[in-house]
Amino acid sequence: MTLENYNYMRELAERKIRLDQRSEFEGRKITIKDNVINHSDGSAYVELGGTKVIAGVKVLNGTPFPDRPNEGALVVNFEASELASNYNDDRINYSIEVGRVTDRGIRESNLIDLTKLVIEEGKTVSFVYVDIVCLNNEGNLFDAGNIAALRALLNAKYKVEGKEEALKLPLDRSKLAISHTFAKINGVIFFDPTAEEEKAADARFTIGVSEKINSLQKGGDGFFTPEEIDFCVGKAIELREERFKTLMENINN
Amino acid sequence: MYEERFDKRKFDELRPMEAETGIIPNAKGSARFKIGNTEAIAAVYGPEEVKPRHIEKVNKGIIVCKYDMLPFSVPDRAKPGMDRRDIEISQVITNALNRAVILEDMPRAMVNVRIYITQADAGTRCASLTAASMACADAGLPMRDLVAAVAAGKIGDSICLDLTKEEEDFHEGGATDVPIGILPSKDEIVLLQLDGKVTREELKKVIEVGKKGAMEIYELEKAALKRRFLNESKS
Repeated sequence: MTLENYNYMRELAERKIRLDQRSEFEGRKITIKDNVINHSDGSAYVELGGTKVIAGVKVLNGTPFPDRPNEGALVVNFEASELASNYNDDRINYSIEVGRVTDRGIRESNLIDLTKLVIEEGKTVSFVYVDIVCLNNEGNLFDAGNIAALRALLNAKYKVEGKEEALKLPLDRSKLAISHTFAKINGVIFFDPTAEEEKAADARFTIGVSEKINSLQKGGDGFFTPEEIDFCVGKAIELREERFKTLMENINN
Repeated sequence: MYEERFDKRKFDELRPMEAETGIIPNAKGSARFKIGNTEAIAAVYGPEEVKPRHIEKVNKGIIVCKYDMLPFSVPDRAKPGMDRRDIEISQVITNALNRAVILEDMPRAMVNVRIYITQADAGTRCASLTAASMACADAGLPMRDLVAAVAAGKIGDSICLDLTKEEEDFHEGGATDVPIGILPSKDEIVLLQLDGKVTREELKKVIEVGKKGAMEIYELEKAALKRRFLNESKS
């Protein structure tokens, strides 16, 4: 981003104007396609404005962790692939951060009842692998990745040896922690930043909300005051309803 | 319900702390911060020439920070080198230091911050950030303020300050961990993460409690730095 563009973005931000003419807390359009990958047990393709991600779920057998013999496991991995954008710096660090924050939201909300994934106590359990790949980075990978991961989990049907029927994952739908990302540009807070806005931003704040707040992550070099934090949390709770509706659209029981 | 803490502390009481600077003579600045059984040591090298060259910024300096848990710091054994968790923590610590250090004053330069966890008992990222900011001050870098960081949280229904590992793994009712890093004199939050379950009101209280704890750490940091420079002028 050139310095001119940077300064221009920040000037506009001060007047609460966005380049794509959205209002401060208006999210971009979300489009979801289900089961786009044949070989996965559940998958989803999500477009958040120009950001495109695919999430695939695979459920495989594995040995439980020694400290949790009676629980399955969840593994979330995110990759901001090299073809998604001409990243110049910390692509790998960013991927890891997005992956771990997504993981935290799903894990801490107890969305998946891991105790129901035991096949043979202490010996074999199911591992739920959620792999998310970004195909085009137009900003806000946190939210796009989170929505894709949740939708893929909701879609997932997997087979276990010895059972005819495909199983669904033991999910508690009241515990879907949906991610909401805010960016602070020149002291003004915006929801769902684009790639350009992210580059002009001082700080970023991601909130995972189910019935309660399950994950927070502050990013970027800037700061937030306690009042701004509370304000963002309030906004995220407000905005969740709409995202939840979009996420659950066309999902049957 | 969690009515009394495992180590009999009050709910808003920190574990015993130690802070010391100048422990690594080779480094430009260094510090050790111990809180309960968690201990972090940090060393700062620089400002110096940027390597590799392509990460240089012409209008400001950069901070490259590495957080690593030493193999013997945990009950099992941490694999040597950085894993995914270490990389994420390095990233959030860098973000916080980027605000604390006035990077505009050192264009085309780079500051290396290296942090080792010698003993881990929860709250390692906060201890690391506290130690790192003290090391930066010890190195004489221009700073907006020191960073004081502490983990607050909720165990069962009680809001707690400075959780131990035992408390973090508390199962009945679940535990919520909220690492908070602030610039105390400016009331700016530069590090904030959360995992667990809290309501909006509870989160407000948790941040409040965390801020109070951070103020105590801030005083300790200042005292340690003063001590160091008083000694230096004597010798």
